[in-house]
Amino acid sequence: MAIEKQGFTRRTILGTAAAGLALGAAPRLIGPAAAADKEFKIGLFIPLSGPASLFGPSSQACAELAADEINKNGGILGRPIKLIATDAGVPPAESAKSAVRLMLDDKADLFIGMHDSATREAIVSTVKGKVPYIYTPVYEGGECDFNVYSLGETPNQQARPSIGWLASEHNAKTYYLIGDDYVWPRKTNAEAKKYIAENGGSVAGEEYVPFGAPNKFEEVVTRIKSAKPDVVVITLVGGDNVNFNRTFAGFGLDKDIARLAFLLEENTLMGVGAESSGNLYSCMGYFANDPSAVNTKFKAAYQAKFGDKAPQLNTLGISCYTGVKSAHQLVTKADGTDGKKCMAASEGLTFETAAGPATMHGRQVDKAMFLADCKGTQFNVIKTFADVKSGSECKA
Amino acid sequence: MDPLIVTQAINVVYAVSTLAVLSLGLAVIFGLLGVLNIAHGEFIMIGAYCAYTVESSGWPYLAAVPLTLAVCGILGVVVERVMIRPLYRRPFDTLVATWGLSLLLRKVAEAIFGPGFRSLAIPLPGTVRLLGTEYPIYRLLLIAVSLTVVTGLVVWFGRSRTGARIRAMVSNPELAQAQGISVRRLAAATFITGTCLGGLGGVMVAPLAPVQPFMGLDYVLRAFFVLIVGGLGSATGLLSGAVVVGGFDSVISAVSNTTNGYFAVLLLAIFFLWLRPRGIVARS
Repeated sequence: MAIEKQGFTRRTILGTAAAGLALGAAPRLIGPAAAADKEFKIGLFIPLSGPASLFGPSSQACAELAADEINKNGGILGRPIKLIATDAGVPPAESAKSAVRLMLDDKADLFIGMHDSATREAIVSTVKGKVPYIYTPVYEGGECDFNVYSLGETPNQQARPSIGWLASEHNAKTYYLIGDDYVWPRKTNAEAKKYIAENGGSVAGEEYVPFGAPNKFEEVVTRIKSAKPDVVVITLVGGDNVNFNRTFAGFGLDKDIARLAFLLEENTLMGVGAESSGNLYSCMGYFANDPSAVNTKFKAAYQAKFGDKAPQLNTLGISCYTGVKSAHQLVTKADGTDGKKCMAASEGLTFETAAGPATMHGRQVDKAMFLADCKGTQFNVIKTFADVKSGSECKA
Repeated sequence: MDPLIVTQAINVVYAVSTLAVLSLGLAVIFGLLGVLNIAHGEFIMIGAYCAYTVESSGWPYLAAVPLTLAVCGILGVVVERVMIRPLYRRPFDTLVATWGLSLLLRKVAEAIFGPGFRSLAIPLPGTVRLLGTEYPIYRLLLIAVSLTVVTGLVVWFGRSRTGARIRAMVSNPELAQAQGISVRRLAAATFITGTCLGGLGGVMVAPLAPVQPFMGLDYVLRAFFVLIVGGLGSATGLLSGAVVVGGFDSVISAVSNTTNGYFAVLLLAIFFLWLRPRGIVARS
């Protein structure tokens, strides 16, 4: 709301500008000062306020667990990790300011971020590769700036296998695309349309709703009902995702039309609810109820550390665990945080995740993907796609 | 008739009637007392969590109504006494105070229920055939209940002695006091009615909405638009505001898309603030 943003005054703008200038003038100060510090400081950008703060607790908990495990074995290059959790649930420009403060005041050695793409772009253009920046969540692919490493699921990993599966197993021919109006849904759908065409399908409709507005979905659902597609591809997030799916099932469309969602994790499914989750599919790199030995071991450690109050695990939270683990391997292999050395070290870098080992190629991560259908408020993995390429490898 | 058009037409009626009932509490508090209650959405959120509590305890859904009245009533009493009473006739101060209240209520909800989404089973699931199209039963019921609640309150406000006292208080508090009306008590009762109406709106929409601590923000903005467009302090203002805002949004979302629907609502609000700041039905 407008009222909540009035704190943005000329004074704060001046402050940012001054900090930016100082940063530009003093890049040499940062490196040596950081090396002299004993702790290995990681600026952890996660949503702590605003609607996305739902994912804050699990992100922080997963990052802490990874840091504990590394610190027990001597830390990073002999330095214990110190996580500095920083709010990324604020406007992108505010996160950029936090990045400046973390570099200048805290002498952060590395950044890990779990937030939207607008915030990533703001941080990338502020940090300018001076420290390694690991971007962890599901995203649209194509992030190739200097000294930036992306871990999340890309459209090639989510949309290509799942659309192929629906086309072959369910003979899906027509698709209706609905998403929030920002970069991730639009770029993901642009890729999805290619895969739909490759499988001989067609797009019956494509529409976007304003991101962050109080949306309602009666009109959209009525349009979808009239278009009669075989599949609805959903790139709505959070509350919009819940709202749409509940309205969709409320109008009785869940019986005849399959839904494939690309940001449907445990919390969102809880909101969608058991009676609205029929014929609903999700394709992700991690589901909390994955019965594999690696995940069972991970969950036991998570439970032991956080007990009954442990935040619900999900692919976004887990990505911060992977973030810290990959940071450990990256900096160890590069013997420091020098941009060029880290870039070279990242190629073929392997690290642990809660879903098994992963490998970085072209500063993106190839990984196993899981397609699940929803049984009530639980995910039921029906198909595993092993070692799916990111399809978004950076050239250099 | 084309079932698509029929369904979209019912959607418009649904949008207008639920918007009217969700704006009612704000219309009472802002329209009659001049208190800019930014926390209106949080009372809707509290109503929704009351419904969730009732449902998850296995009680019948209607038990949420007395629970919500109790919770929002008690909260209304405390908030009015501690926060609002010293600030009557200082609209901007009430805005800041209730903004703080909204932050507090959201955090309290988060502390009790956690930040995650909750879902409630729809009390009357399924669809029914109406005018040649399938429409969800619960939404039709909501239209009926909303229209009944709004009409009931409007008639009561226009005809009852209490309604007359409130109108007297609104137009001239000193004169009303001189006539033996306890303005202080009446203002408190009006405020509490407003918070309870917000809570009841929450009970009504809880099975359809993502129930989480931030949900109130989705409703408070539209409710303010209704009052900006319709005008303060009268039933016709509330109704015309709901018809214009809800109708415009829903019709444009149906024939065009949701983005244009929302854009139209924003344009409409700017247009009214600029050219007709007292709304369609200006109070004399």
